[in-house]
Amino acid sequence: MSAIPWTEKYAPRRVSEIVRNTEAAMKLLRLVKEWKPGSKGILLYGPPGTGKTVSVYAVANELNYEVIEMNASDTRNVQNVMRIAGSAAMQAPLFAKRGRIVLIDEIDGLSGREDRGGLGAIIKVIKNARVPVVLTANDPWDPRFASLRQYCKLIEYKRLTMWDVVKVLRSICQKEGIIADNEVLKEIAKNAEGDLRSAINDLQALAEGRKRLTKGMLGILARRDREKNIFEVLRMLFSAKTARMATFALSTADVDYEMLMRWISENIPYHMNDVEELAKAYDALSRADVFLGRIKREQNWKLLPYAFELMSAGVALARTKSKFKFVKYSFPSLLRELKSSKEQRDLQKKVGEKIKKRCHTSVTRAINDFLPFIRTIFRSNPEMGAKMARWFRFNEEEIAFITGDSKSSKEIIKLLR
Amino acid sequence: MSEMMWTEKYRPRTLDEIVNQEEIVSRLKHFVKTKDFPHLLFAGPPGTGKTTAILAFARDLFGKYFEENFLELNASDERGIDIIRTRVKDFARTRAIGDVPVKIIALDEADNMTADAQQALRRTMEKYTRTARFCLICNYSSKIIEPIQSRCAVFRFSPLKDEDIAKRLKWIAEQEDVNLTEDGVQAILYVAEGDMRRAINILQAASALGTTVNSETVYKVTGRARPEEVREMINLALSGKFIEARKKLYELLITYGLSGSDIVRQIHREIYNLNIPEEWKVKLAEYTGDIDFRLSEGAHEDIQLSALLAHFALAGTQMRKGDKIG
Repeated sequence: MSAIPWTEKYAPRRVSEIVRNTEAAMKLLRLVKEWKPGSKGILLYGPPGTGKTVSVYAVANELNYEVIEMNASDTRNVQNVMRIAGSAAMQAPLFAKRGRIVLIDEIDGLSGREDRGGLGAIIKVIKNARVPVVLTANDPWDPRFASLRQYCKLIEYKRLTMWDVVKVLRSICQKEGIIADNEVLKEIAKNAEGDLRSAINDLQALAEGRKRLTKGMLGILARRDREKNIFEVLRMLFSAKTARMATFALSTADVDYEMLMRWISENIPYHMNDVEELAKAYDALSRADVFLGRIKREQNWKLLPYAFELMSAGVALARTKSKFKFVKYSFPSLLRELKSSKEQRDLQKKVGEKIKKRCHTSVTRAINDFLPFIRTIFRSNPEMGAKMARWFRFNEEEIAFITGDSKSSKEIIKLLR
Repeated sequence: MSEMMWTEKYRPRTLDEIVNQEEIVSRLKHFVKTKDFPHLLFAGPPGTGKTTAILAFARDLFGKYFEENFLELNASDERGIDIIRTRVKDFARTRAIGDVPVKIIALDEADNMTADAQQALRRTMEKYTRTARFCLICNYSSKIIEPIQSRCAVFRFSPLKDEDIAKRLKWIAEQEDVNLTEDGVQAILYVAEGDMRRAINILQAASALGTTVNSETVYKVTGRARPEEVREMINLALSGKFIEARKKLYELLITYGLSGSDIVRQIHREIYNLNIPEEWKVKLAEYTGDIDFRLSEGAHEDIQLSALLAHFALAGTQMRKGDKIG
């Protein structure tokens, strides 16, 4: 293999060369250019291999800025964040010849244990920065990032289509002088599921040093399994017969423990259908949760082992009757639904705020005690509904949300005009 | 033309207009006269006039300077004590306007605050004693820490009598040209459970269906308005269908936007309506209380409530087997 990975050799040097997410990159360019002390940080988010990190370098290249990067391979606890990113961002010379971007890459990778306090430190860096701070993440809606989000402008990177990926692969092949069947490139692209970086890596692994690429050579490509690790952890954990094995299983996980707790909680009932086991397992898990709460509140990290033991051994050893069976583990459904219903919930909250303002109540109570009745009125009596909508100052989007059916909302909106 | 929520349209504006809670109202009138009063703590079930009382009191006291001297906050919305502190600071920094010694800060749903937040609140209360009085509003005064309770005059709002609610409903119906039948009144009283706000909301929603409000229209709107989801969730759990029960739970958390402690409270209320041996009710209530406590300490609602449902599933099986409580 040559020294340079193709992902770097063919990385875009200009914003206009970014595939599919050109607009996102342009937005980044604009924000970096217009950035001044006091502005928010910039959070690029989207699936892996969609061009987040390379955008930052392309932007820097166009503006002739330098990039100070911190990524998952650095331990990002408070000291390190302050030492590396903090000094780069907060002590940047005010009248430097060359601009600077501080890049904190892959914040999803912040682990609960080694990087504790890192998120808080990052927020501090953003607030006091003298140069733009850019972060990247796969999932910005992770509850851990709730407060961080308030200090950032968000830019979304979309998954690439198979055709986007094929196009890039073909152009690389041309430059490398490789003849490749369209079918082969399509196969590599499909396997990459919109992740351009992994597609280019696969291409390099298969084609480097060859002059021709045919379908027969695809066999060595392993199918990428993006959530492999967590599945293995769960399998190991739920099959453990001793406390030691269960805690060991947990220690191999590379997701943070709140997420881990959700994964375990989601999948307990698929391993244990006996109610006694079920109650025991959840009892252990819920007590682990109590420990975690105390740890967080009092910053008493000495208690962490107890939480981990309850979460792993406590749960695993609750299974005394049910046989261990193969379970196709599912992603925590609560988190999935929270994500997919986010837009609706945001709207509901806006409606709640407006009711609150008028009716001397809280948003929660507005949603629970008032909204159902308002909905009934809107649906069954558009005329009265229109008058009320005027009083509450609901906009059209909110009216549509409240009625939940297009016929009566159209009627109300018509009456309002 | 616009149409208000009737709960607002018919909310008493002055202390004189309030017909219930005579004792409390007479004390508040006395305060208006002397312009001197302590911090207040209003406790009582929903819809018994706590917010109405403080609004009317402040209006009577401040007159045309009501807006300038009255700050309304809600503990369950203003995220965290820090936000409350800043807003209180900005408001209480300056002296009251007009011929009054202090401003009023009403803090609704104060029992939703954690003990830590209440400690911080206590310090804030002390800091601004010269310029402002607090009125804390809550359902359960027991959830307010003692140091705060001891600094406040505590007023207990009792549930409204059915005949008082009925009178009000009939009066509103008259104003609104709604034909409210006697069985309609009875139906509203039954579902409202002493909560005036709920009673009026039901009346308004039912009147949207037609000019006559009777038991049929009342049940129609309340059937839609208050889903029996919580009861259904409990029954699924008790019959051992844990995964289905959990699905209901997530629905309550997400679609209905209920908080974990809201759900726990509703579960607690439902326990006593269940068709199960009496001694089990106590047992289930005890475990529910445990979970409630954990939530108040900041545990995760999805995990804790899953544990509660799993426990109910176990209890359900033991009840059916006729096991003694272990």
